[in-house]
Amino acid sequence: MTTTAPVIRRRMDPVYLWIIIPTLALFTLAITLPTVMGLFMSFTNSIGFGTWEFIGLNNYVAIFQDPAILQSYAFTFGFAIVTVLAVNVLAFLLALGLTARIRALTALRAIFVLPMVISGIVIAYVFNFLFSNSLPALGTALGIPWLSTSVLVNPDLAWVAIVIVTTWSAIPGTLLIYIAGLVTVPREVYEAADIDGATPLRRLTHITLPLVAGYVAINMILGVKNFLNAYEIIVGLTDGGPGTSTRSIAMTIFTGFSGGDYAFQMANAAIFFLIVVAITLVQLRFTQRGEKA
Amino acid sequence: MPPPLSRRAFLTAAAAGAVGLGLSGCASDDRAIVRFHSSKPESIPYFRELVARYNQEQSAARVVLDTATNLQAAFLRGSPPDVGCLNYNMEMARFMERGVLSDLSDMPEAGRIRPEVQQLADQYATFPGRTNVLPFSVAAESVIYNRAIFDEHGVEVPTTWTGFLAACETFQAAGVAPLYGTFKDNWTLAQGMFDYALGGLIDVPEFFAAITELGTAVGPDSPRSFQRDFLEPMERMRELVPFHQADAASRAYPDGNLAFARGEAAMYLQGPWVFGELAKTDPDLSLGTFPLPMTEDPDDRKVRVNLDLALWIPEGSRQQEAARDFVAYLMRAEQMDDFNAQFLGFGTTTDAAPATDERIQDMQEFYDDGRFYLGPSQLVPLAIPLANHVQSMVLGADLRSTLAGVDADWARLAFRA
Repeated sequence: MTTTAPVIRRRMDPVYLWIIIPTLALFTLAITLPTVMGLFMSFTNSIGFGTWEFIGLNNYVAIFQDPAILQSYAFTFGFAIVTVLAVNVLAFLLALGLTARIRALTALRAIFVLPMVISGIVIAYVFNFLFSNSLPALGTALGIPWLSTSVLVNPDLAWVAIVIVTTWSAIPGTLLIYIAGLVTVPREVYEAADIDGATPLRRLTHITLPLVAGYVAINMILGVKNFLNAYEIIVGLTDGGPGTSTRSIAMTIFTGFSGGDYAFQMANAAIFFLIVVAITLVQLRFTQRGEKA
Repeated sequence: MPPPLSRRAFLTAAAAGAVGLGLSGCASDDRAIVRFHSSKPESIPYFRELVARYNQEQSAARVVLDTATNLQAAFLRGSPPDVGCLNYNMEMARFMERGVLSDLSDMPEAGRIRPEVQQLADQYATFPGRTNVLPFSVAAESVIYNRAIFDEHGVEVPTTWTGFLAACETFQAAGVAPLYGTFKDNWTLAQGMFDYALGGLIDVPEFFAAITELGTAVGPDSPRSFQRDFLEPMERMRELVPFHQADAASRAYPDGNLAFARGEAAMYLQGPWVFGELAKTDPDLSLGTFPLPMTEDPDDRKVRVNLDLALWIPEGSRQQEAARDFVAYLMRAEQMDDFNAQFLGFGTTTDAAPATDERIQDMQEFYDDGRFYLGPSQLVPLAIPLANHVQSMVLGADLRSTLAGVDADWARLAFRA
């Protein structure tokens, strides 16, 4: 590379500044500053306004002793893992079907992507009705005892309902990414595999999956991040119930604003933030390694 | 074809328009603007009309009704409304406790409030030496019953616990659901069975004063605790569960309103806010109310109350005088009576007219005698998910361990407060 002196001395093109300064200013104002303020408040007993005083690490100590908080972490992580697996397996299988040579491909793709345009809270309320009224009616008619009361009020099964609804609404986004990935796989490699006599299963595990590994990673990272922040579908389905068995971390944090528990939940949010950053870093490392290999 | 509007011409016109609007806004009206915050959905049209009337009757201030602002955010920004007229609860009390509301004790209206009613506000929290909130309307809650179903089965309004259980058994034997339950919405359980059972059996303000005093010491070995004092009332509450209709666990509040209005159960544990909903289905439903008797002594019966609306003026308001004038207007005796008659509330002042609606009339004597209590579920900070715990207990969770969990929550909250 040869760089001439005048180029080095020339100042940065002002267009770049015009692009970056408003974004930077907005990001700082809307995200960085509130984060720093929230972090600061987590060391106080503030309820968001009025007088407050420093209470050191008391909020953090209280979090680690609070079974309700720990339960919300256990629930949220368990939920995120199960859901991310369910979503990715189903979306991948659907994507295989929707990239195959079948009839009415466009119509089918449109149908499967439909849930994407419906907002989460609406989906949750519709399913809430199905779980509370339609399924119990079916259960009573068929004489199945566990189905005759709403699964949403069953402390052992409510989470399954949440996984089902979240999966249903999260599949389209994941599906689109997988379709995009699958169409990039060149036809020739399959033809070569056919000539070598590879079974469909071997084709899947030895050709398709390695070639779309990057897309799998993206879907996993986005999925984990989204499901850890689970909020509106749970609010619409169980509101954290029955009891506290389906309260997610995001829901507990949000009670801090309405419940006057601002500083404590800020501490909770800070811990949650660090955990999500750590998970994302680990996932990024894995994917980068995967792409190099 | 006319020449296209140049950008400069367009901007100039727009700017001129904006300035013109701004100027006309100032010129037509130099009255003080008083922002009046009231978000109780049912009463919004009422207050809109009242505000319009007030703005016409005087010329010093112009009141603007605000029904949507997030209060927490408004206080946080330092731009609270000038007058608030809201449900007074634990969360509002926390605003007050931090000294953001002004002292109204020198207003003549403050002297008209019944001391027992003012006392209700103080149960949440007090700010030394101040009267920060003026109760405007009290909602009283007790068992709502369908008079026709009671008459049909020859059941009298019970005044003792055994009498109540006997009434339930009569209905059940006749194939009528005694109580309609909406267990899916946990708040309906907290304000209903949970509060009624406790309020009828324990001294609510005394208990909360005691455990507030104990703070971090609340636990299995403390002299007062949820697991010690609430256990018996919770066992009683559980005795009521089988008297609900079979699918109570899957039903939500709107389902309950529809079913009860259709006469699918004899009794419904809800507050006066539900009457409007019931009337939507059946405007001619003949209903009455009675406090849930929890002991064998009819004199122990009490009704649950809450400060449905209370008035306050933030310290941060720049229109203190105009705000006080509007508060005084709201608190005129005929004004308050009119509101309470329309919204089935009880008056908070010594000169208030008694309730005349047959649906709440029977609670008047209890209210007049001061035989009422604030719902215990309202006295637990929202940071403790009490309604969720109540739902667990109703659905069969172990009472002792659930209540021990509430104790632990209480102690932890005291630790970090």
